[in-house]
Amino acid sequence: MRKADISIRLAITGVGIICSIGRNRSEVWRSIVESRAGIGKLTKFPGETFPTDVAAEVGDLDDLLPIDSREARRMSRSDLLAVIAANEAITQANDGATTLLPRERAVVSTGTSTGGLLEGESFYFDRLVRGRGRVATSRVLQQPTSGPSDAVARALTLGGGVLSNATACASAGAAIGMAGDLLRSRHADVAVAGGSDALCRLTYSGFNVLQAVDEHPCAPFAAERKGITLGEGAAYLVIERWDDAVARGATILAELLGYGATCDAHHPTAPHEEGRGAQAAMRGALAEAGDERPRVDYINAHGTGTLLNDSAETKAIIAAVGEAIPVSSSKSYFGHTLGASGGVEAVISVLALQNQLAPPTLRLDVAADDCTLDYIPHTPRRMALTNILSNTFGFGGSNVSLLFRRA
Amino acid sequence: MNGVAITGIGIVAPGAVGIEPFRAMLDAAVSAVKPIDRFDTGGLSAHTAALVRDFKARDYIPAMKMRRMNTLSRYAVSAARLAIDDAGTQPSSESGVALGTAFGPVQTSVDYMQEYVAKGAALAPPQLFAESVANAPGSHIAIEFDLRGFNITLTQRESSLLAAAMYASSQIVKGTVPSAIIGGVEEVNEMVFSVLDRLGALAREENGLPERMRPFDRRRNGMSIGEGSAIFVAEATPSRQPYGWLTGFGIARDTTATISDWGTGDEQVAAAMRAAIDDAELTIAGIDAIYASANGTQRGDRLEMRAIQRLFGENVPPVVATKGYFGEYAAGGGFDLAAALLAIRDQKLHASFGFEEADAEMKFAPVSAPRAANLRNILVNSVSAGGGVVCAVVSREGA
Repeated sequence: MRKADISIRLAITGVGIICSIGRNRSEVWRSIVESRAGIGKLTKFPGETFPTDVAAEVGDLDDLLPIDSREARRMSRSDLLAVIAANEAITQANDGATTLLPRERAVVSTGTSTGGLLEGESFYFDRLVRGRGRVATSRVLQQPTSGPSDAVARALTLGGGVLSNATACASAGAAIGMAGDLLRSRHADVAVAGGSDALCRLTYSGFNVLQAVDEHPCAPFAAERKGITLGEGAAYLVIERWDDAVARGATILAELLGYGATCDAHHPTAPHEEGRGAQAAMRGALAEAGDERPRVDYINAHGTGTLLNDSAETKAIIAAVGEAIPVSSSKSYFGHTLGASGGVEAVISVLALQNQLAPPTLRLDVAADDCTLDYIPHTPRRMALTNILSNTFGFGGSNVSLLFRRA
Repeated sequence: MNGVAITGIGIVAPGAVGIEPFRAMLDAAVSAVKPIDRFDTGGLSAHTAALVRDFKARDYIPAMKMRRMNTLSRYAVSAARLAIDDAGTQPSSESGVALGTAFGPVQTSVDYMQEYVAKGAALAPPQLFAESVANAPGSHIAIEFDLRGFNITLTQRESSLLAAAMYASSQIVKGTVPSAIIGGVEEVNEMVFSVLDRLGALAREENGLPERMRPFDRRRNGMSIGEGSAIFVAEATPSRQPYGWLTGFGIARDTTATISDWGTGDEQVAAAMRAAIDDAELTIAGIDAIYASANGTQRGDRLEMRAIQRLFGENVPPVVATKGYFGEYAAGGGFDLAAALLAIRDQKLHASFGFEEADAEMKFAPVSAPRAANLRNILVNSVSAGGGVVCAVVSREGA
């Protein structure tokens, strides 16, 4: 069995993103620069009575689809978000290159927590009313969480394999790390890796009954923080072995340097109070950077806005990386995109490296007593960025850290 | 050759709890697919599945902890307990967990939505929501056995288990963790069963033939689904004589597949098999048997059959189709891998179940009766609807 050779450098040659602050990377970055959040009133489920009504929604997708409407009708909203973002990433990876990506050797690695649950819910409600045999099953074809990977591979004709990671909110980070190892062990030549999740009733209700949702737009690390804002979106990276990208004449946007994945082994939903697993994940990502431990310039935090996460993550950062590193939470812009968050925030990290600009934490007027780091409040900070850590943690105590380097 | 040793197997299967009862069931060639009594199948075409019966989770999990777990988690944690007991050693706390499941917690989501409808969106039970994530079983395993390495859940339909095994093995070989818990888990429920039935995916009574999953048979008309959990203890350095070794993996996708069905691109399926063989540093001649993905679907079995014949030509090694015993999906993928590991350990091929009449274009006959064999390496296939393919090589010698 071939071993993943961590001396093989990994180049990111394309990124694609869609979330509540933009339908593509240009729009998203403009929103970041202008400190413009995409959080508002929940509109998706009229008539439902949730305890809170704030969300980070993406609008209608019809005009953005790179596939025909007949194909699109068979896909879930998570699938469609995924196809839009992956298509943008692949287009960029081919743009200006002398040789196109070898799609037949491209693996799709997607993280998702809801998959086609939105469509599954509709199917369930219709079945309640009309009976088991009277609802079209085509509506739940894409219910499984394998849907987004299958849809991206189908829509974009990718033949290197499909992997679907359903590790709650750590899903997409894990999917990206896993893709890197597949390239380093030469099981694939290209990876289209990221995540996708659409808002659905079950998660909106579920986080509310856990009392984990802020009634106002989330305020990560703030003294008044009360929980998350739920969002939706998708984002993908095109990753190649560095030498292959150079040989193709591709423009290299950034380097994927390391990946760490751990588990708290502590509680089904709550993080370990000292961020035990998060520390280990960050250390794991740094360890993959080689013998010389790299200096981290900025951390794109998981930063959900819950009391438990932000406190534990702060402690973990201090223990693993130190307390002098600027940290921010992009979720203050586009909410918690759940299984997609690792992908969305990986793309934000790559864009930050390209633009040498660290995104801020919005709505951070007064940091909490247990949040003692420099969280870059309100506006982006221009700074020299060479290495960025991106954290994503999930239910079940799963933790993933990704380390990116400026190209 | 880099390999990962499998030193413990835990089985919670339809008709067998524990590895030795599982072996005995395979040896006796008894199928666990039976009429469903868990829910009403009236009005549906299919009426059978492989359900776990005579299993008590409290024999393996303390009652206080069990109350926090759904059925899926109970299967997985119990199978993990059996696997660790079978290995004889508690994995170190650096160990990882990688599970595969095709449908995951669908029943828990249905239960949640029932409460949502009955009580309102604000009053559904939080405990059900916590268990509605696909990685809940993996999380419970980590908590129960204090495993702090990676904890990953893969959901790639029929390939979920082998995808999880591929990931965990890669991390062990890379040196990230010394060992890992690998497994598959699945639950049969009315929602999944009825949808698959409406899609025509399930085996049914037809043309006077009784309802039965018939892998590779020319009269096949669908799969039977099954449930349970198969968990494996995988180690870089075996703490005991291993069942066998995972020595190679291959991955590909059939680009002719739609998002929910099998396609016709057998060259891509063959490429995944070839990649697994290459990864194990073997030639095709080094493969002594194939434990097939075959699940009795027309398109899926035809695709795999053509791929096998494309790769092996006139020299197809013995092919075993086990899913007629325990049904399809991730736990079934796990049971197939467990059967291959038993075959390597016992140097004995199992009988296929459900095959009687060969498909017209078939150039091989699945093994029909248990028999002794010199087995150095077995190719294990998983060919998914949607196009995903993951293959593995299981070897007698690994390092």
